[in-house]
Amino acid sequence: MQLDIITADKTLFSGEADAVTLPGSKGQFQVLNNHAALISSLEKGTVKIKTKEGEKKFEISGGVAEVLKNKVVVLA
Amino acid sequence: MANLKEVRIRITSVGSTQQITKAMKLVSATKLRRAQNAITQMRPYAQKLNGLLANLADSIDVDSLKVYFDKREVKNVLIVPITSDRGLCGSFNANVIKLAGRVIAEKYQGKNISILPIGKKGSEFFGKTKHTVINDSRDAFLTLNAETGFSIGERILAEFKAGKYDAVEIVYNQFKNAATQILTNDQFLPIDKSTFGGAGDAKNDYIFEPSKGEILEDLIPRILKTHVYRCLLDSLASEHGARMISMDKATDNAGELIKALKLEYNRARQAAITTEISEIVGGAAALSSN
Repeated sequence: MQLDIITADKTLFSGEADAVTLPGSKGQFQVLNNHAALISSLEKGTVKIKTKEGEKKFEISGGVAEVLKNKVVVLA
Repeated sequence: MANLKEVRIRITSVGSTQQITKAMKLVSATKLRRAQNAITQMRPYAQKLNGLLANLADSIDVDSLKVYFDKREVKNVLIVPITSDRGLCGSFNANVIKLAGRVIAEKYQGKNISILPIGKKGSEFFGKTKHTVINDSRDAFLTLNAETGFSIGERILAEFKAGKYDAVEIVYNQFKNAATQILTNDQFLPIDKSTFGGAGDAKNDYIFEPSKGEILEDLIPRILKTHVYRCLLDSLASEHGARMISMDKATDNAGELIKALKLEYNRARQAAITTEISEIVGGAAALSSN
């Protein structure tokens, strides 16, 4: 799936990812390929992503995530 | 007749001024490009936020958000004039200060005015007026990033929510292009609901986690804070644009001045030579007649 992690300053990540773990405000959750459409608010925490090249981590201080048609956008 | 040496000194001095203004213009051009990049960087973020909002707009009547929309009786007003830290940028700062003054005089006559200046120039000016000036955000431009922008927004939102102010107005230069700034006064709070009514992408069947209302509670302040940050970025880019233009003009003017001075210098030199020749000729004639 296509994943974009955007902050007001810069784009932290943009590319293909296999899985992304997000710090949702009701607990951590993971988004895999072809996840149902979802909008969730995020807490301060770590975004973990799994790509073909390995795992990456980003710290965010809250935000919103949108999943739609195999495209994930994280606004941090 | 102008003294040769005097004119020569003036030419050198105008020349070095011209060099300075030319260098400042180049520096501003570079800084302008960087400021413009920052604006382009944050554009997708703002767009996406607004796109999300369009999907949630139908539940915007959440109780906890009413405070941002409800118009209260206006007693205390916060004005946020965004100016620059440095001068030499034409009427950039004067315009903001003038407009802020007009807003206070016309829209909020007789109200209790507080001012939160951002940028040194505005802070210096409003410090001399009789209004209450809150000075702790004036140096925001020294370390401008999303965090500083958001924390200023956060503070304004919190104080508005607590009822310290009944209206918040931002006065700043909106960036259009390098040569054009649009002087703007934005009623920041309370929000006009119609500005959020924008048509979004077609309704999708989203799962809302935890709930529409709670997401909105996060989203609306975030959008407002992004707006504050955007105003700061706009003002910064406008400042460099304005300085670039005014330094360009100054360089041109210095060039003209040098041209006029050179003409004067050459004329004086010519006159001196002519006098000298006629003196020699006169001297020689006096000798030979003897």
